[in-house]
Amino acid sequence: MKIALAQIAPRLGDVPRNLALHREWIRAARKEKADLLVFPELSLTGYVLRDLVEEVALDPGRSPIVQELAALSRGMTIVVGFVEEKRDDPGLFYNAAACFGEGRLLHIHRKVYLPTGGMFEERRFFAAGRDFRPFRAPFGRAGLLICRDFLQLGAAYLQLVGGAEVLVVISSSPGRGLGPEESFISNRMWDLMGQALSMFTSSFVVYCNRVGVEEGMTFAGGSFIYGPRGELLDKAAELEPGLLVQTIDLTAVRDARRKWGYHREERPEVILHALERTIRSHED
Amino acid sequence: MKINPAFVEKVLTRFIREELGRAGFKKGILGLSGGLDSAVCAALAARALGPRQVLGLIMPYATAFGDDVRDAERLATALGIRRRTIDIAPQVDAYFARYPTRSRVLRGNKMARERMSILYDFSAREGALILGTSNKSELLIGYGTIHGDTACAINPLGDLYKTQIRELGAHLGLPEAILKKRPTAGLWPGQTDEGELGLSYAELDGILFALVDERKSRRETIGAGFKAAAVDKVRAMIKASEFKRRMPPLAKVSTRTIGLDFLYPYDWGK
Repeated sequence: MKIALAQIAPRLGDVPRNLALHREWIRAARKEKADLLVFPELSLTGYVLRDLVEEVALDPGRSPIVQELAALSRGMTIVVGFVEEKRDDPGLFYNAAACFGEGRLLHIHRKVYLPTGGMFEERRFFAAGRDFRPFRAPFGRAGLLICRDFLQLGAAYLQLVGGAEVLVVISSSPGRGLGPEESFISNRMWDLMGQALSMFTSSFVVYCNRVGVEEGMTFAGGSFIYGPRGELLDKAAELEPGLLVQTIDLTAVRDARRKWGYHREERPEVILHALERTIRSHED
Repeated sequence: MKINPAFVEKVLTRFIREELGRAGFKKGILGLSGGLDSAVCAALAARALGPRQVLGLIMPYATAFGDDVRDAERLATALGIRRRTIDIAPQVDAYFARYPTRSRVLRGNKMARERMSILYDFSAREGALILGTSNKSELLIGYGTIHGDTACAINPLGDLYKTQIRELGAHLGLPEAILKKRPTAGLWPGQTDEGELGLSYAELDGILFALVDERKSRRETIGAGFKAAAVDKVRAMIKASEFKRRMPPLAKVSTRTIGLDFLYPYDWGK
């Protein structure tokens, strides 16, 4: 199958303009005959929204934008980032990822780990998701993660236990930290995690980060795809917008899991038991 | 502390281009002092926007700082940017004729604010956005005039220490005369930052990097090899100058207050 990553720079707070941008890149990915196209975190809205959160929120049940994206997903699975507010959950805004395929909305993941502190203030404006649940995508079993979710070990673990073969991570990671390398120091943590998690979950890790500047922050790009033996298959340039297209062989997951027993050895019931004990014995 | 100047150049030119373009501008304007920071900023702006889209205002007080004026003019020519020299003496003298003072600091601050007021006037005349040139070292210790040289629309240099800016300047191919120049706030002739602070920039930046970037405590910073007196002095300066880095506090009386719970992005809808 062919994966395409749209390393774009959305316009802050301008959903119609970002939708047009999505249409453009969907056309480009279709030309490349991609089976899966991934956009970055909050690709329909931009990242530093603050009080704009409620003005750009969409209800997947009613939004014509969601309907349009669903219609565009015939023949190509599409993952986008948006702000979700449901009719039956009013006043709660989620930093969400939607997966569209076969002409319909297949799955929504709501960001669980909302970085708050230092330069980040997501918990101030977003409600936190409460689940990590792999789902059946047209190409196989997939798990969605949003930015910080990916840096929390438990999130990827739950995707692995749920049988995900492809971890799709969408991100808006501002570059920070200078050193002698021609790169932000912060970009190393994504690579490190991509390499480690792909290898030890024996799955593909697909990471799409955005580019562009918002509020003085430069989003670093550097999107990548790792294969199930921890091998880097392709990596986009840092800072520059671009479409990264890579053909992968999904049977490599089976192959890796046959040879390396990490998935087979999994004992989620032990983890659950130990977690319950840890939580029960926790003293404030 | 070490930077990759080529990478930093890429990030900063992109920042200038995007932030300026988003605000609806094609042109940038900045004050050229003949010193390192404004030279680096001008060189970055020339690369980001094209040299003819950058206007450097050279604003000496009468004939003081003659060498700096010449360095600034030569730099503008070398970069191919537009330049204009405006003597601020008439307006400064007119004011101090009415309210005389012998304080060099008062005179220097007034001059910095006259330059700011000319920059903002030319910003409107030219349709050019003001690029700030204050660096992280001086912003952190408050070594600048509030509403004077720190005033700007966007600042590409505010997160780089002076020693890092020198590295960037060398990478950008700035003339030796500017790279080697002793940093000065230019409030009066003969003033140098290092003389006034009693610290070299290597020491100052080392201490700031430890305290701010590495979040070291006073004790850890001293333990890293800096003199206790110097660390204490820098800490005191950081603390005393917070007001220069912030919008003024606004008395909260309503349920939704600008800056506290009315929180929109700067780049809102741009």
